Amino acid sequence: MDILLKSVTVIDNESPFHLKKADILIKKGMIAHIADPADTPEQDGVKVIEVQGAYVSAGWMDMQANFNDPGHEYKEDLESGSLAAAAGGFTEVALMPNTHPVVQTKNDILYLKRRSGSLVRLYPIAAVTKDAQGEELTEMIDLHQAGAVAFSDGSQPLWHTQVMLKALQYVQKFDGLLISRPEDQYLNMFGTMHEGVQSTLLGMKGMPTLAETVAIERDLSLLAYVMELTIGQPPRLHFSNLSAASSVALIRKAKAMGLPVSCDVAAHQLYFDETALADFDTHYKVNPPFRTAEDIQALKEGLLDDTIDVIVSAHQPQDEESKKCEFDQAAFGITGLQTFFPILASILGENLSLEHLLRKITVAPRALLKLQVPSIKVDAPANLTVFHPEQVWKLDHTTNFSKSKNNPLFGKELKGKVLAIFHEQQSWMGLSSYDRSR
Amino acid sequence: MEELRSKHLLGIQDLTREEIELIFNTADNFKEVINRPIKKVPSLRDITIANVFFENSTRTRLSFELAEKRLSADVVNFSSSGSSVKKGETLLDTVNNILAMKVDMVVMRHASPGAPHFLARNIQANVVNAGDGTHEHPTQALLDTFSIRSKFGGVEGKKVAIIGDILHSRVALSNIFALNKLGAEVMVCGPATLLPKHIKSLGVKVTLDLREALEWCEVANVLRIQLERQQVKYFPSLREYSLYYGINKQLLDSLNKPITIMHPGPINRGVELNSDVADSEHSIILEQVENGVAVRMAVLYLLASKVK
Repeated sequence: MDILLKSVTVIDNESPFHLKKADILIKKGMIAHIADPADTPEQDGVKVIEVQGAYVSAGWMDMQANFNDPGHEYKEDLESGSLAAAAGGFTEVALMPNTHPVVQTKNDILYLKRRSGSLVRLYPIAAVTKDAQGEELTEMIDLHQAGAVAFSDGSQPLWHTQVMLKALQYVQKFDGLLISRPEDQYLNMFGTMHEGVQSTLLGMKGMPTLAETVAIERDLSLLAYVMELTIGQPPRLHFSNLSAASSVALIRKAKAMGLPVSCDVAAHQLYFDETALADFDTHYKVNPPFRTAEDIQALKEGLLDDTIDVIVSAHQPQDEESKKCEFDQAAFGITGLQTFFPILASILGENLSLEHLLRKITVAPRALLKLQVPSIKVDAPANLTVFHPEQVWKLDHTTNFSKSKNNPLFGKELKGKVLAIFHEQQSWMGLSSYDRSR
Repeated sequence: MEELRSKHLLGIQDLTREEIELIFNTADNFKEVINRPIKKVPSLRDITIANVFFENSTRTRLSFELAEKRLSADVVNFSSSGSSVKKGETLLDTVNNILAMKVDMVVMRHASPGAPHFLARNIQANVVNAGDGTHEHPTQALLDTFSIRSKFGGVEGKKVAIIGDILHSRVALSNIFALNKLGAEVMVCGPATLLPKHIKSLGVKVTLDLREALEWCEVANVLRIQLERQQVKYFPSLREYSLYYGINKQLLDSLNKPITIMHPGPINRGVELNSDVADSEHSIILEQVENGVAVRMAVLYLLASKVK
């Protein structure tokens, strides 16, 4: 059925309706008509969606999620993960390779591509090293040809300096994006939370900021080394999951020097700090760990001046047993897809505008992964997210689409809601059932 | 020019263009000799040569031995397996013991770059480098350039692509030196992980793209993937290497021009070269082997004139 989005505020820098209200008619998956609400004629046989205060933007893209399929489907699978992504506002998701087996062959890529739905399109990120062990390179050229959009060992850092160097050199052949999760595992050994006042109070082994900055400094040095006498395209290096003020400063400096680097931050890093762990609640156990209020402030400044290019969900589902245990035994991770937008909505203001933040989940990730950036114009395919920054809802058993619920915001009232997504002639709408407009 | 300046052949780097051409002109004569019914000349009748190989070799050792025998030299062979090396003897002691038996020249292969230079400084005999680690393999480069000269009538101005594992290849390095001295243009091609970082400083073009290299060149010298020389893995797999850096007939046919194919051997068939290329009319791989004997005869002959 054709759908009319009535009186939505458009966010798209390229559109003449940018920051204005418009009516958007979607016919057979295409944007058929955009007009001022006053100019739109009445139409029959059209489903009208009208929510006061709703916005529409290009469909969102999450550059980093884990769907645990194949291997740990009891935590998440491609279907449940895709539904959670849809409810979180994402029409496209890049999946980390840390499945069982690890995504490292043409077959693994084809499995994900074949099983991807069209409402939420899934893009595989392939492993840099075999079994993400950091020791032997995977067949990256072949994986790239098969459809891997980037290379990363996901939750595993690329610890082997020589292998990291080789990987940087190797991806030059096809202008690939190498994603490094900066962590020195030796410095973080046995650590469970940020090394600071809170870890001292709790008597827990800390994960120092140093473990992150040492790794970033190492990788930047390697990149500079390769760049000194580069052949073909310089390698593109992306740091994932920044958590510390000093990391932001390092990347800012590297960008100023002209190094081809980019980075992302997980949404929850902008929201929680180390004090959240005071009750030993394992739902706050993530890697990198939640750090301090000053770090959060620096991360926001990094978003503002575009030192940080992308915001990711870092969706990492864990089953109940992995979290319902002693803190040091518990698994790391948070299911980030459905709480992504409420967190984003919470940091709006303080110079961070909605349109600025949305670029970090629409334009920026797709540019890095060399994917088409959707636009809101007539005759373009409808790849759209409709959302409301003020609406309040609750993440609970009735609204959670993930198979897991390891999220500290589970059961809490949240402000900021995704109303609908449209992509490849499909749509998801979460309008009525749990909607309590204020 | 009538003779070489040095009594050793340690590397191409030490030779002038004139010396290389002297070796070529001498090799022309010996190539004629080894195609006679009686393939032997008495030139080195009173010379004793030791082939000292501390690394495995089949064709280089055979080629040297045949060259020596066709020059009527007396030959002794020594290879590191089952030798005194395993008993802890130093390189210098091992060689001095051989020399004490009145040997005039030493042909040595060794895994350490610079080992023949070390030897040349410390012994009386003439030293011929038959490959020192990842440094030089001068007679291979001489026979390669000699083969290009035989095929095209000259080396000057020829476009030669050296493809594969440049990082671990003494053949690549010696060839680059020789081709530069003889006025050829050189491009190297391989995965970035198998190219030395400062390779451009040798005055060569560099590409990561095999097709680009092949479209540019007239001669492709395809190197062996030296798995035995890689202490850590430099590329993911032989499969991926052959997919993106292996040469097959289909690829060559798509270029619309003939390319002369060379390979120093032994070939990893199906990895860097497919059989339909290695055995094709454009391959001069077996001519290289034949020329190897003539070129080594020339080198030994010219150096022997310096034996005191």
